[in-house]
Amino acid sequence: MGRKREILDDEKPKKGPGRKTKKQPAPSFKELFGDEAGKKKLSHKQQQRKKKREEKQAEKAVVGAKRKAKPQKNVQPSKKPKMLFDSDGEDDDGENLRSSDSEEDEQMQDEFSEDDVLSENGEVEEDIVEPSRSKKSKQQKKQAQVTASQKGKKLKENVKKKKSKVVEPESEEEEENDSSDEDEKDEDGDSSDEEMDVEKASKKLLKKQQQDETLAQDELMLNIKSQEKFTLPSGQEIEKEDILWQWISHIRHVLSDFAERREEGRPRKEYMKQLCRDLCARFNYNEFLMEKLLKLFPNEIMDFLEANEYPRPVTIRTNTLKTRRRDLGPMLIDRGVNVEPMARWSGVGLTVFDTKVPLGATPEYLAGHYMLQGGASFLPVMALAPQERERVLDMCAAPGGKSTYIAALMKNTGLLWSNDANRERCKAIVSNLHRLGVINSLVTNYDGRAMKKVFHSFDRVLLDAPCSGTGVISKDEAVKVNKDEKDILRCSHLQKELLLSAIDCCNANSKSGGYIVYSTCSILEHRFHPSLRLTRRFYPHTHNLDGFFVAKLQKFSNKIPGEENKNEKAEENGETAKSDESGSKGKKTPTDEVAKAEGREPNQKSQSEKEQKSANLQALSNISDICKLLKQTISYYAALFFVSTTNNLQEILASNLSSIFLLNAQIFKSPGVETSV
Amino acid sequence: MIMADGKQSVVDTVLSQSNDVRLETNQIENEELIELDEGNLLAVNENKIDTKNFKVKNEDILLALTRDATQVLFNSLWKLPVEQKDGAFLITLPESQTWLPREKHVPKKRPPTKWEEYAKTKGILNKKKSRMIWDEQSQEYKPRWGYKRANDATKDWLIEVPDNADPYEDQYEKRKTAKRERVAKNELQRLRNVARAQKSKVPGLGLTPTEKPSKDHLSKALAVAHKSTASIGKFTDRLPKEKPSKFTGKKRKFEPSIGNFGSEKEKQLKMLDIVSKKVPTINTTKAANRILRQDEEQRAQEKKSKKTPKKLKGRKATLGLGKPGRQGGGNKKTRGKRKR
Amino acid sequence: MRPLTQEETNTFFEKLSKYIGENIKLLIDRQDGSYCFRLHKDRVYYMSEDQLKIGSSAAGDTILSIGSCFGKFTKSGKFHLLITALDYLAPYAKHKVWLKSSAEQQFLYGHHIMKSGLGRLTEDTEQYQGVIVYNMNDLPLGFGVAAKSTQACRNCDPMTIVVFHQADTGQYIRDEETLT
Repeated sequence: MGRKREILDDEKPKKGPGRKTKKQPAPSFKELFGDEAGKKKLSHKQQQRKKKREEKQAEKAVVGAKRKAKPQKNVQPSKKPKMLFDSDGEDDDGENLRSSDSEEDEQMQDEFSEDDVLSENGEVEEDIVEPSRSKKSKQQKKQAQVTASQKGKKLKENVKKKKSKVVEPESEEEEENDSSDEDEKDEDGDSSDEEMDVEKASKKLLKKQQQDETLAQDELMLNIKSQEKFTLPSGQEIEKEDILWQWISHIRHVLSDFAERREEGRPRKEYMKQLCRDLCARFNYNEFLMEKLLKLFPNEIMDFLEANEYPRPVTIRTNTLKTRRRDLGPMLIDRGVNVEPMARWSGVGLTVFDTKVPLGATPEYLAGHYMLQGGASFLPVMALAPQERERVLDMCAAPGGKSTYIAALMKNTGLLWSNDANRERCKAIVSNLHRLGVINSLVTNYDGRAMKKVFHSFDRVLLDAPCSGTGVISKDEAVKVNKDEKDILRCSHLQKELLLSAIDCCNANSKSGGYIVYSTCSILEHRFHPSLRLTRRFYPHTHNLDGFFVAKLQKFSNKIPGEENKNEKAEENGETAKSDESGSKGKKTPTDEVAKAEGREPNQKSQSEKEQKSANLQALSNISDICKLLKQTISYYAALFFVSTTNNLQEILASNLSSIFLLNAQIFKSPGVETSV
Repeated sequence: MIMADGKQSVVDTVLSQSNDVRLETNQIENEELIELDEGNLLAVNENKIDTKNFKVKNEDILLALTRDATQVLFNSLWKLPVEQKDGAFLITLPESQTWLPREKHVPKKRPPTKWEEYAKTKGILNKKKSRMIWDEQSQEYKPRWGYKRANDATKDWLIEVPDNADPYEDQYEKRKTAKRERVAKNELQRLRNVARAQKSKVPGLGLTPTEKPSKDHLSKALAVAHKSTASIGKFTDRLPKEKPSKFTGKKRKFEPSIGNFGSEKEKQLKMLDIVSKKVPTINTTKAANRILRQDEEQRAQEKKSKKTPKKLKGRKATLGLGKPGRQGGGNKKTRGKRKR
Repeated sequence: MRPLTQEETNTFFEKLSKYIGENIKLLIDRQDGSYCFRLHKDRVYYMSEDQLKIGSSAAGDTILSIGSCFGKFTKSGKFHLLITALDYLAPYAKHKVWLKSSAEQQFLYGHHIMKSGLGRLTEDTEQYQGVIVYNMNDLPLGFGVAAKSTQACRNCDPMTIVVFHQADTGQYIRDEETLT
């Protein structure tokens, strides 16, 4: 109606119906009026990039200026990471006496090319910067030559020196060719056949010196360049991965002996920051996570990161309800699956090396003879050690791997309550439980935090808390980048709430149980505190398992003292997880301590009960105070107390849960693991 | 209204001061071909474009064209009368000339009513009736319906009492109620049409008064009346031997989930017996099969023991005894029946 | 969760008896404890008394499964056995079918069993009798209904369907969503 046919229609076909064209903004007339005419407006991202670029250029300029200033100030050879150069510590003369072979070796070692190698001969710099000194050094060298060769030939050599100064064809050759030695030899042969070896050597040295001199000018520039690489580079300079790789190793090298190797005026922080940035770029992590990891593994960071790059070995768990491992193994081998018993500590695990058939679709799998399960997830169940005819709660069960293991250990007796908050994932639990022939199960879809209101007299509770997944980066690469501080905090808050709920669900009066096992596949959250030393952490790089944290707690009493006064107290005793991999070792050490702990326990209990009372007298507004109080008064093996369960206090509690962990640990030896080891 | 920040003279001075070549003039070459609609602030440039160069630098060409059109538009805007208000120059735009497309979509057609659907299937067409009709009584045209309608039956000053009618019945009242009923029915049908159009459930009529209520109708009405209290009939009195109405919904009743496990087990075992008894103890097909097989075996033995003459062999084959797979003759339908 | 009504029990037992015959008795009358059938969301679950008692503390809509699921009632009141019942059907099965390893995979993808894939089958299987399907290693793979009696099977050609597929263990993966 209102629109007239566009004249341009013939040339430019209209794209799409009217909607799109309507969306397009009105033409701007900026160019017509403003002075900015002709300047294209940059997009937001382009602007940001430009800004960064400018910043980096500025930074670079500053660094460059510094570098330029330095050689003049510092007569000493520049300080570089020692690792780079094998011969850094050696004297200049000594250096010179080495054959060019050694130089080439270094070339091979370092991909830094000849620049570095040449710059390493500090004298080159000196020659240019401080002639007087270089003369001196030359004289020294000459003396050395004099001692080595005969005086008569000195002149000759000098002439030669001049010659090569002018011509200098070999210098490049020498840098490039491994066969430079032979070239030289030929030349030597031309000049004087009957020269002695020593003479030859001295000649060679001389030549090299000359070359160095002639190259000095270029090298100065190159040095500056290469030195820049030693300083902390800006992100733009890092292009190739192998350069990045070298960078990382250089910085780590410096950091390993910081006082000696560092560049003056550069704080450790800067190095750390750069290392962090490099690692992020190399392994595609975000900086937040990398910082955390660096804090966690200052020394083993590389091992850890590399371990995360490769998947853990595929492991399967035999379903002892339906078959035995010694039956399953041959059956799978018949199918073309190469398996072997996993480790000494597990009687049901099988490691899969390679397979011709999809492991998740063999008739044996469908018949429920085994379960695909990471080795690490055996551990919490082994720590839980469920007994027959018990009531066991698996609070966050999906997809049911651990649940089925629990059922297998319980031999299908008692009750296994598998709960998960996600209804969709619950379906996987049901499927897996039925497939593996578990009949003592109950699958529900509650929020774990509400479980204690549903049923709270379980003998054992397994809480495999939902977590940031930093232990299973090899499984899910997305973790590398999509986690930030908030995620971690939110996660840990939820974990605390769930743990409280799990503790409330457990029945301390149970004859055989009263245990809670808390595990996460995260490695971040747990601080290393002496009281947590009995808990177990598993790392990809050390155990070749997924990163895991396992803690076993024992509940001592259901009593919530002074409930009428709205002061509810649950008594908790932190306990340890065990299920150590190095079977015998992990077994023995706790046993001694168990005895100890049991001996002291009653005292502590009474003592701590007193404490409770005194704590009750105080206003319970600040629970952390109480925790502190307990901490101070209760001795080494203090039983853990904390106030729990009233709704209004729950939150405060959650925030203090870390102190719960800190407060106490008592050793526990799991019978389940004993049998399995 | 649009703001004009200056007058033509100001524009000229600015232009003269500017160094930009393109800003030198506010005059356009092919002004005639640019159509303007000041009301919509619309300028349409119908000038031909340089098709040769267009592909190479279309941006520039388009910009130039646009610039020209805009310039013309502004030139004409500044020619319009300008008034000053609160220190700002205002131009009153003339009425727009081009029609813009409507903002909202065209309303949908009303879905047909039940009558309309019916009429369509039957081919009934609406006859257009005039709104006004001749009223004999008042000798003038009056509306066919509504207020002050012609031939208003309720307004008769005298109504003849029909034969056999109750002489004491108020005939006026009778007509009024009849009218009211018609209106109510109409309204109900309208609502049902609305419900149909929205595809929601059409409300049922429930228990409408009928001329001759049946027995069912009565008991239904009773059941409804029983329940039509605030407490859903909980405290309604019943007759001493009143049967529960068959028109009230039945409430399902189940055994308690955690009840007597022993009795439950027994019940189930008893039921299992019944189920197993249902299966005939003698399986006829099985028995027949067995006999056939025995026959076969027997014959096989006979075969082994003595050689049958060729003639006999042929006769046997025709008898169909050699085909154990197919039992009985006849067609498919009768085969199974005959067996039994 | 509720016990089955008489009608439901009847249909359920009738269906079950096609597979395990009077062995249902062994499920109801167990020596090692009290077990029962319960209906939850149209599904029949088989569980111990203890399980039921504890399980009933959970709200009905949160329970996804309790004990093992035998099957479900359709909207029209029929009963369908599900693959999850296999653990109880297999040990008590009256009629069995063994599959050749070549036909194993076919069956696990939900296909009917042809004569060519048939390893062996129980003698005296009638037509439309429920049968449990095993592979040659005696691993239960699922169950189905005999399309032909043993007798008829002998003489049919290799491409005829011998057993109609009803459920197979592949459904644990294929129909994970609908198992509950």
